[in-house]
Amino acid sequence: MNPAEIDALIDDRPEDGVFRVHADVFRRQDLFELEMKHIVEATWVFVGLECQIPEPHDFLTTRIGRQPVIVSRDGEGKIHCLLNACRHRRAMVCELMRGNRKAHVCPYHGWAYDSAGRNISVNLKEEGGYTPAFDALDHDLAPVAHVDSYRGFIFASLNPDVAPLEEHLGGATAFLDLGVDQGADGFELIPGTVTYVINGNWKMQLENSADAYHFVPTHMSYVEILGKRNPTEGRETFQRGYKVRGLERGSFTFANGHNVMWSPVEDVTLRALWLDREEVLPRVGETRFKWMLHTRNLQIFPNFQLIEAPVLQVRVNRPLAPDKTEITTYCIAPKSESRAARLRRLRQYEEFHNPSGLATPDDMAVFDACQTGQQSQWVDWHQGYMRGLAEVQTGDNEFARELGIHPETAVATTEALGDETVFHSQHREWRRLLMKGLRAEENRPRLVHDAAQ
Amino acid sequence: MAAELLYREAHFLDERRWDDWLALYHEQAEFWVPAWKDEDEATSDPENEISLIYISSRVQLEERISRVRSGRSAASSPLPRTAHVVSNVMVEPDEPDGTLTVRSIATAHNFDVKRREQHVFFSRCEHRLQRDDGEWRIRQKKLVLLNDYIPMVVDFYSI
Repeated sequence: MNPAEIDALIDDRPEDGVFRVHADVFRRQDLFELEMKHIVEATWVFVGLECQIPEPHDFLTTRIGRQPVIVSRDGEGKIHCLLNACRHRRAMVCELMRGNRKAHVCPYHGWAYDSAGRNISVNLKEEGGYTPAFDALDHDLAPVAHVDSYRGFIFASLNPDVAPLEEHLGGATAFLDLGVDQGADGFELIPGTVTYVINGNWKMQLENSADAYHFVPTHMSYVEILGKRNPTEGRETFQRGYKVRGLERGSFTFANGHNVMWSPVEDVTLRALWLDREEVLPRVGETRFKWMLHTRNLQIFPNFQLIEAPVLQVRVNRPLAPDKTEITTYCIAPKSESRAARLRRLRQYEEFHNPSGLATPDDMAVFDACQTGQQSQWVDWHQGYMRGLAEVQTGDNEFARELGIHPETAVATTEALGDETVFHSQHREWRRLLMKGLRAEENRPRLVHDAAQ
Repeated sequence: MAAELLYREAHFLDERRWDDWLALYHEQAEFWVPAWKDEDEATSDPENEISLIYISSRVQLEERISRVRSGRSAASSPLPRTAHVVSNVMVEPDEPDGTLTVRSIATAHNFDVKRREQHVFFSRCEHRLQRDDGEWRIRQKKLVLLNDYIPMVVDFYSI
């Protein structure tokens, strides 16, 4: 594919009031390969939480796109992100999900690396009959070009040529802060990680979480349950009710493909955070407390989401194929929250967010339906990007000013608008990164021999 | 008797006899499916850790049944066809409080009719049974799902 072919897949004509996305964006295998190379492996992606590796020599393993990596804290406390492949024969040197190790020993021929990735042993090196040329090679685990954290969220990039993390996150940091600042001393990870696979393209998950329009039709059976719950039954742990009209809600988009959908909730007293308001409210102030109680679904393009609906969730996607995506989910919570808040959080989290709960399974089912539906070759263009086009404004609105942020676009309404312009930032970034990657490829020889390898 | 109750539970799920299935459960029944912390350790404390499902009263099981019956949940219509197999049943000696603990292995074969795919969920189960109005009922069911890389809907009927 060439850059012009990518450009043709997004019909983006603001002057005509048109935004359409071609179904190929969600279904083509060759595009998927390009996405891995020029998006997932070329921008910042989330790789873990600092609180998962608090001690020296703690590590976790994950992947950046197709590539296995180790996120490791060395003896001095510095975090490294290393390709999880022995320099000898490329075997994974660590196959555990997480743990604590001063040294990672390759299971194949026994080469060993310390927690900073430095090679500490080429097994039986003296007897190895090596030439001096071997000694000249770098035997350390290859470090990923960049690793950096923002408030406990660790991101990495395989691409040396990226903007600093904080610049990349831009205005979206305000919404990470609204999650982190709920606790006086930050957040912790609640044990129990849930992973599931959706039969859908990875971008659909990012869109779905920002999609206010789908909630009632997709989750009708859940909305019915919420409507029937009787507050007098001692069921105060759980959510009740869902209101579509009358509450002002909206969305923001930011540079680099990030976006957020936000909405007030009908009854803030059902939020876990509400139980700790005596500590939280004076500390964060009225405006930020109000925003902390809102539903806020934040998408950091391409693989990270911080969802608060009804309680905080970190949701990470890993594309497996055009029609298959692995989703890993973490429940994070203010470290010092009260017992009552913690219990409420756990039950609300499980009920809403789990693939074994009352809401997420219906999302999984519609992803499947979409992925199958868009195999149809006669009607290629999605019409699902035009709600809100007449309402969207460029730059700040009163809600952005309230938060002190400067989004690229903002939407706010009391109607059942179900804004879809919130997805545009993601597709524009998708287009930008792919076109940039393809142009760079056109100007590069096909095979690169790196003498240092 | 204990094994028979487990077989009946499996049978009612496979036959989609939800009311009969529910009647096996005590009013304050706990239905618990832990999540996993790492390769080897499932969560063990639902008050401090995440579970896949943690339900502490029969009302919540009724809600799940109403969701299935509503026809408005894409995840549960159509339902998978299931065959629940219960084996390795072991009854522990009676507890002083009059309850009975029954351990078993449960294999739930699912045929996802929408995708024409089949999935098997297998679990280590622990039922705590209690006499209630002369009948043994399930006071607590803990089901440790061993293959928790979830490819399709996980709910009371599919595991």
